[in-house]
Amino acid sequence: MLIEPIISVNNLNKYFFSPDKSLKIDAVKNVTVDIFQGEVVVVIGPSGAGKSTFLRCLNGLEDFDSGTIVIDKIPLDHHHKNRLEIRKEVGMVFQSFNLFPHMTVGKNISLAVRRVRKKSVSECDKITVDLLEKVGITDKIDSYPGQLSGGQQQRVAIARALAMNPKVMLFDEATSALDPEMISEVLDVMKNLAKDGMTMVVVTHEMGFAREAGSRILFMDNGEIVEDRKVEDFFLDPIEDRSKAFLSKVL
Amino acid sequence: MIFVRKAVFIDSIKYILFLSVIVFILTVSSSNMNYNWQWYRVPGYIFTYSADGSLEAGRLLKGLGVTVRISAISLVLAFIIGMITALLRLSSSFAARVVSRIYLELIRNTPLLIQLFVIYFVISPVFNISPFVSAILALSLFEGAYASEIIRGGINAIPKGQWESAYSLGMSSIDTYRYIILPQTFKQVLPPLTGQAVSLIKDSALVSTIAIFDLTMAGQAIISETFLTFEIWFTVALIYLLMTVSISTFVHYLEKRNSYAH
Repeated sequence: MLIEPIISVNNLNKYFFSPDKSLKIDAVKNVTVDIFQGEVVVVIGPSGAGKSTFLRCLNGLEDFDSGTIVIDKIPLDHHHKNRLEIRKEVGMVFQSFNLFPHMTVGKNISLAVRRVRKKSVSECDKITVDLLEKVGITDKIDSYPGQLSGGQQQRVAIARALAMNPKVMLFDEATSALDPEMISEVLDVMKNLAKDGMTMVVVTHEMGFAREAGSRILFMDNGEIVEDRKVEDFFLDPIEDRSKAFLSKVL
Repeated sequence: MIFVRKAVFIDSIKYILFLSVIVFILTVSSSNMNYNWQWYRVPGYIFTYSADGSLEAGRLLKGLGVTVRISAISLVLAFIIGMITALLRLSSSFAARVVSRIYLELIRNTPLLIQLFVIYFVISPVFNISPFVSAILALSLFEGAYASEIIRGGINAIPKGQWESAYSLGMSSIDTYRYIILPQTFKQVLPPLTGQAVSLIKDSALVSTIAIFDLTMAGQAIISETFLTFEIWFTVALIYLLMTVSISTFVHYLEKRNSYAH
């Protein structure tokens, strides 16, 4: 039986020009990868490897120069409607939280459900309460983001993305901006999510998370996928020299 | 504590000195001109008794009414024009950007008085527009251009992450502007926009040049009949000051009330 991938990326290329336009820099180079439902794909690699750019291409926050991306059978192309459709199904969590500072936590979570999913107010309220319970901050529903700690803000951001009931969740260095003591509270939420069977693409520097919750590693360097392996295989027996060098530095 | 008191004391001294200088200048200039102060005649131009003995607005207050009406309508229009122009300048359409840019440069690089005359003498006869409407048109087009730059700056100051998180939730551009970007923009641009509103009220004095009986024109008319030059101009200036200061105070109060935790 052939299972369709939920994310299918074929020969994706994106390049930048250096400020004086003399140099072409490949941010993402010939990336081809299929991601299946329930997989937790952890993207690692040195900084500047194109991990975040690749992730941001997946929900159309970044335009790409060639190749194709198909998510949940919808092609990500210049049709604006497709792009909006994909974004409904793909949640994203950012390094800098990006909560809406002028809205309460409850409003942050329910806004898109109300405006984009067009759910009723009572349904929105129920979703909000349920998700705040899931991320463990029920008492903050009427607080403003500025009144929360970094870890709490990031958990609200995860709840906000989950509220859309997405099929895929993208995490762009979700713990990099956090104080050390708050990293675990966010990682715990992410691990629970992985356990619940959510399809996740996670850009992170947390090797512990990759080992514990990841099912597959994409090791990127200079915009390319250097290794695409199962987690345990990658950490026990990296093949490429670049992966070996990277692992020796971070482990 | 003692330093605070000392600072207050020094400030008071400075203030008294400043007032003394002004009073001195006024006294000297009026005595040089043999000016005959007649403050007692001024209240009659603010409030007056009608034929049946009831109190009614004097000529200055009637002029103030016209100024308030023109300013209030122009303020609303200037805000709308500013908003639209800002959004056009930030839009992805090349034509929209060019049109808004031309409007902006044209308005900002010519004197308001000339714009007023062009609208009143050239455009209004064609479309049969009244002086009142010409005045509103000129003022709102002029202040709208400045308001648009303030609003555009405010929108640009919103972090990129706000757009990205709204887009990543599948929100449309319109919803993103409406719920995420503009509410945050308004909080930021409220103080500079208030400054623009104050400018508008002061600039509205220019409409007296196209035969509108606003506060300035009323003052001018009274002076030419009575030669109460100093008294009337001071009174008129004070009325403008009261208007602008109360607006600033009100907005300051709004700002404090609506501030959210950062």
